[in-house]
Amino acid sequence: MSELKESPTLTEATDLCRDALGPPTTAELDRGLDGFLARISPTKTRPRRFVRWSLAGVAVAVCTLVALQVVSVLRQRWSAGEAPTLAYRVDGGSVLEGGYLRESGHAGMNVVFNEGSRLTLAPGTRSRLRVVDRDGAHVAIERGRGSFQVAHKSNRRWLVDVGPFLVTVTGTVFTVSWDPVSEEFDLRLREGSVLVSGPVSAGEIPLRAGQRLVANLAKVETVITEDTPDQMSSESPSAPPVPAVTPPGLQPSAPRPSPAPVAPVASKAFTPAKLASDYQWSRKLARGQWDRILQDANRIGVEATLSEASSEDLFALANAARYRHRSDLARSALLAERRRFPESPRVLEATYLLGRVEEARESGTAQAIAWYDEYLTCAPTGPLVGEALGRKMTLTDKLEGPARARSLADEYLRRFPKGNYAGSARELLAP
Amino acid sequence: MPTLPSHVPLSLVVGQDRRAASDGDVARALSAGETWAAAETWRRFAPMVLTLAKRTLGSPSEAEDVGQEVFCRVYRRVKTLRDPDSFRGFVYACALRVLQNELHRKKMRSWLSFEQPDVLDCHGSGTPDMESRDLLRKFYGLLDRLAARDRIVFVLRRVESMSVEEIAAATETSESTVKRSLARASNRLSRWMDDEPRSVDGARWGR
Repeated sequence: MSELKESPTLTEATDLCRDALGPPTTAELDRGLDGFLARISPTKTRPRRFVRWSLAGVAVAVCTLVALQVVSVLRQRWSAGEAPTLAYRVDGGSVLEGGYLRESGHAGMNVVFNEGSRLTLAPGTRSRLRVVDRDGAHVAIERGRGSFQVAHKSNRRWLVDVGPFLVTVTGTVFTVSWDPVSEEFDLRLREGSVLVSGPVSAGEIPLRAGQRLVANLAKVETVITEDTPDQMSSESPSAPPVPAVTPPGLQPSAPRPSPAPVAPVASKAFTPAKLASDYQWSRKLARGQWDRILQDANRIGVEATLSEASSEDLFALANAARYRHRSDLARSALLAERRRFPESPRVLEATYLLGRVEEARESGTAQAIAWYDEYLTCAPTGPLVGEALGRKMTLTDKLEGPARARSLADEYLRRFPKGNYAGSARELLAP
Repeated sequence: MPTLPSHVPLSLVVGQDRRAASDGDVARALSAGETWAAAETWRRFAPMVLTLAKRTLGSPSEAEDVGQEVFCRVYRRVKTLRDPDSFRGFVYACALRVLQNELHRKKMRSWLSFEQPDVLDCHGSGTPDMESRDLLRKFYGLLDRLAARDRIVFVLRRVESMSVEEIAAATETSESTVKRSLARASNRLSRWMDDEPRSVDGARWGR
C-alpha cells in the first residue's frame, strides 16, 4: 500500500490524545479496584453466573421455540406450495381432447385419483374433467349419473357441474345425476356435506348426510328429502352402476367422431386456461344466472357471440335461452354449435335439442321431427335415441295421425319396452 | 470530644512485602486464589490497561467498563498462563482482546441502532481547550471508521509509542501484518483528516 505523507492535523491529534488522555487518577483506580473485587468475590460471582446462565438458558429456549415455529410455518408453506398435482387413472374408458370421458365398453367408467378420491360413472353418462390440477378438480356431468367418493383434503377444492347445477364438495360421498331431457337433477348425499347452487335457488343449498335433493326444471319443482338407511346403502358408490339414462337393451355406443384419445394419466395435459371458456357462461348457467348470460350476449352482440364464442359457451347460451323461452336465440346458438364445432361431442345433443326448441313453436312440429330424424340417423345407438324416437312418435301422431305413428310405436316398444314413452306407444298400438 | 466521621473512602491497602513480589509471584498467587493477588494485579496493571482503553476508545467511562472486563478475564484465565513471569504480556493481550471485542460491539451497535455514540469526554490531566476537544472528537470520529484491528494498531504505534515488534507480539500477528495495518490506518486517517471539516459529529454515521 502506498504511504501518504501523514497529515499534520493527524499528528497534532495523536499528540493531543496522548497528552489529554493520560493515566487514570487515584480515585479512578480505587473505584475500579472496588468494582473489580466486588465482581470476583465468590458471593457475587455465583449469583451473577447463575443469572447469566439462566438468562442464556431462557434465551436458548426462546430461540428454539421461535426456530421451531418458523420451521413449522415454512414446512407448511412448503408442503402447501409443493402439493403433488392431482393425478388420475381412468378405468373402462379414455379421455378425449377437452377432458371428455368416453366409455370403452358399456359398463360405465371409474376415475381413480391419486389422493384417494374416486368417481364412478354410470353407463351412458357423459362427463368431462374440466380441470385437474394442484388445487383440486372440476368435473362436469352433462348427462347421466356419477357417484363421488371425495377424500377430504383441506387444501383441495372439488367442484362438480351437473347440468346447470354446481356442487361444491368437501370430503364427502354422494351420487348425482342429471337428465337433460327431463331436466331433472338428483343428488343423494351419503356422507359429509355439499353446497348446491343452480337455477332453482338464489343462493347455495347446503345438504347434509342422508339428504336427497331432486330439482326438476321443467316442472319448476325442488324437493329435499331424508333418505332412509336402506336407500342410502343401496346407493353405495361402489355398487354396480345402474343405467340412469340409457334405456336397457341398448347396444354399446358407436364411436363418435372425435380426435384420438389422449393418455389418461398425466393431468398436466389439462391446462385450466385452455379448458376455461371465454365467457365462463357455463358457470353462470350453473348458478342460474340465465339473464346475465343473455345480457352478456346482447352486450357482445348476438352475431359476434355466435361466431366467436367457444363450444361450451354456445351450449350454455343455448340452454339459457331455452330456459328463458328465447327459442330463436336458442336455435341460433345450437345451429352455430353444429356449424362451427362439427367434431364436438355436443353436436348430437345440439341436434336433439334443436328438435325440442322447434317443438316449442306452434308451427315447428315438422321441423322438430326432422331434427329427431337426423339424430336417429347420425346416432342410431346414441344415448338420446329413446327420447328422440319417443318424441318423434308423439309428434308424428299429432301431425300425421296414429296410423303413421304406429310403426314408430312398434319400433319403440321393441327397443325400449320400459322406456318413458312405452305407455303412449301401447296406447297407439291398442286396437 | 466527638470524632468526626471520615469522608475518605475505604480502600484495600496492600502490604509492602506484596508489592515487592514479582509479576510471576502475583500470577501464581492469583492462580492459587490468594485474595491479595487480585488487588495487587489491579494495582500493577490497571494504569496501563485503563490508559490504553481510554486512548483506544476515547471515552473514560467506556474505558472503566473495559478495564473491569479485562481484569475479570485475567482472573478467570490466569490458570491457563503457562509462564507466570510473562504475566504483564498476558494482561496486555487480554486487554487488547477485550478492546477488540468492544470495538466490534460498538460497530454493531452503530449499525443496528440510531443512537448517537458517546460523545468524547476528556477528563485527562490537562483538560484541553474547546478547539482541542473538537480535534479530539474529530479524531475519534474518524477512528470509528477504521477496522478494529487497524485502529488498535494505530493507537499502539502512534499514541502508546510501541514498536512494531512489540505490537506484533502483543497482538499475536506478524510484523508485516502490523505494518500493513498501520500504513492503511495512517493513510486513511490522513486523507479523512484533511478532507473532513473540523466537527464530525454527524460524520460517524455518514459512512
